[in-house]
Amino acid sequence: MGSLTSLLWMASQALGADQGALDATSNNIANQNTPGYTREQAVLTEASPTIAGNITYGTGVVLQQIHSVRDQVLQLRIGEENQQQGGAQAQYGALQQIQGLFSDPTQGIGADFTAFFNSISQLSTGPSSITNRQAVLAAAQQLAGDFHSTAQNLDSIQAGVNQSVQQTVTQINTLTQQIAQLNLQVGAMQKLGQDPGNLGDQEAQLIQQLSQLTNVNQIQTENGLTLTTGNGTPLVVAGQSFALQTTNGPAGMTDISSQGADITSSLQGGQLGGSLQIRDTMIPGLLSQIDTLASQFATSFNAAQASGYDLNGNKGQAFFSDTSGAGAASNLTVAITDPNLIAASSDGAAGSNGNVANLLAVQTQALPSGETPLNRYASWVSQMGTLTAQAQAEVTASTASLNQLNDQLGAVSGVNLDEETTNLLNYQRAYEAAARVVTTVDTLTQTVLNMGAGVTGAL
Amino acid sequence: MRINPNYTPDILTDLWQAQAQEQIAIQELATGRRVNVPSDDPAAAAQDVQNQALQRQNDQYLQNTSNLESLFQTTDSALSSVVTALNQAISLGTQGANGDLSAAQRQAIALQVQGLQNQVVQLANTSYEGSYVFGGTATQSPPFTLDPSQPSGVRYDGNTSVNTVEVSPGSDLQTNLPGSQVFQGAGGDVMGALQQLITALQSNNTAGISTATAQVNSALSYVSQQRVFYGTAANQLNSNQSFLQKEQVSLQTQETSLVGADMAKAATDLSRSQTTTSATLAALAQILPQSLLNYLK
Repeated sequence: MGSLTSLLWMASQALGADQGALDATSNNIANQNTPGYTREQAVLTEASPTIAGNITYGTGVVLQQIHSVRDQVLQLRIGEENQQQGGAQAQYGALQQIQGLFSDPTQGIGADFTAFFNSISQLSTGPSSITNRQAVLAAAQQLAGDFHSTAQNLDSIQAGVNQSVQQTVTQINTLTQQIAQLNLQVGAMQKLGQDPGNLGDQEAQLIQQLSQLTNVNQIQTENGLTLTTGNGTPLVVAGQSFALQTTNGPAGMTDISSQGADITSSLQGGQLGGSLQIRDTMIPGLLSQIDTLASQFATSFNAAQASGYDLNGNKGQAFFSDTSGAGAASNLTVAITDPNLIAASSDGAAGSNGNVANLLAVQTQALPSGETPLNRYASWVSQMGTLTAQAQAEVTASTASLNQLNDQLGAVSGVNLDEETTNLLNYQRAYEAAARVVTTVDTLTQTVLNMGAGVTGAL
Repeated sequence: MRINPNYTPDILTDLWQAQAQEQIAIQELATGRRVNVPSDDPAAAAQDVQNQALQRQNDQYLQNTSNLESLFQTTDSALSSVVTALNQAISLGTQGANGDLSAAQRQAIALQVQGLQNQVVQLANTSYEGSYVFGGTATQSPPFTLDPSQPSGVRYDGNTSVNTVEVSPGSDLQTNLPGSQVFQGAGGDVMGALQQLITALQSNNTAGISTATAQVNSALSYVSQQRVFYGTAANQLNSNQSFLQKEQVSLQTQETSLVGADMAKAATDLSRSQTTTSATLAALAQILPQSLLNYLK
């Protein structure tokens, strides 16, 4: 059966519970704009009733816990999407720079080829003119110069990407260290069935940042999370983080290793994966195509030059330096400096332009790679354009998808001020009412005490 | 159902998108190009590379054409002077064949014909931009020299080669006739006929003078035939030029349709994205102050 004392006890329980709920509400309001904050909810339950005879008395309210309203699955999806976005953004950034090298149709290697062959065509109208011959040499210098600068620009873009690889690795190491520290505490709390609250928010937020950088696998163990890279290299196990090491590999590129094993080629996804793809596959591939073009063009033009005679009546000697293999584009140089050495003549006479047709044929005939020099260049333009457009579309798509996922997560975990204000009023009223109960019980107790005093007074 | 209370990221994304579209439209309007980087339209950008190359080549063909026009003018005017000189030689020959003339008078005429011979040799050594036009491909030294030891009185040091120049895609134009063909051809030997006339005049041989005059006459008609080559070539250049100019226009049209901006569309896009931007901003301004707190006094 109920007693005044139990009433008082129930009221004080209610005051405590309401205060706890007000705490949660106040924390929510305070953190409404904190990135990664998950709203808290006070979990109120009825206290177990007491039964006396056939009457069941309620015993008030219990504040069971304050728990953060999370959605683990959504958070995992957001991690994946972050990784997509990070990768696409890294690629898009680098590809924009690369396509810039091929974006002006009136300049660069493609336009130089046309200008060079035009100067040779001009030479056919006055094969012994020194002015015409010098124009050919100048156009050839321009062409070789643009081969150099294109290769050099690609090299420096590659070096820039390499630098961002190093920075990304440093960021990853900082993040895994922070995550490991939090993970220890979060794991311990979870083991005890406690809600990790704000610590959990911080950890989740850091993991999202890590996902932007690389592909992260999460495994929930009883000691907290285990984080690994896509191919299983551990990053964080319980309270321990495993730093990635960087070493200088061949050609000045940074290799990434974990505990002595080189894992560079297995890293995918995120900014790191995107940068590595550009640095190790995309740019070297393009550079080798440019080298091949430089070398095949030089060989084929030299052959045409050798089939004719120069202004002095001698067999045409090599026009371009013989280059092949890696670095051919950077090594391409015009081997002759004397304009008289251009082999325009087919019969040894100075006024003959009979070999010009052979020189011009290099423009229209397919090189051993299967395309004419200009077509080769045009196909780079289309390749770079397509890759950049794809990366751009991927960035747009993953951003849209991230927005949508964040909307979904916000619907679950976001702080709604109207809701919090309503809760605030509710709990305030409840608190006031519970306080009133205390006053009432106080009055009742007075009454009971006065009851005895009245009897005494009557005596 | 709970919805995401934090809608600012979504609205900001929309704003950024509208602003990005605005920028694209402005860039199209400013440059007049729809394709400013290859990723705007990779296929069109690659075709534009080819198109630009064809335009530059076309420019070069036009340049070649005008270079050759000057060359042909020089050559033709030289040959026209040769024709004049030969006509003078014929009238001198006719005059010299007159039976009333004394040997001394014939000598005097012979001197005049020698003068014409010198003139023709000079004309045959005409040069254009430092190259002798009648030397075949041996253009660096004068092809014809007076040489009494030769039966024709003149030595030819040129060769019999010819040059061709590409004046439009795949079409080559022969640009010269070797001097040996023009002045010492099988159909009419200008140099030989003049020398024969001089010898006949000097030796006071009336019959020889008539024969030689007849040969100068046939050499004249032969040279006139050779001139036709240059006339035809000049005509070809003319029609080639108008072909190239049309080609240029069609290449430019092609370029515009490949990478040119549709100005009307760009302008519409611009005003549409501006409308979107201001609508989004207006919505944001209305929504942001909305809160239950406004109604609790």
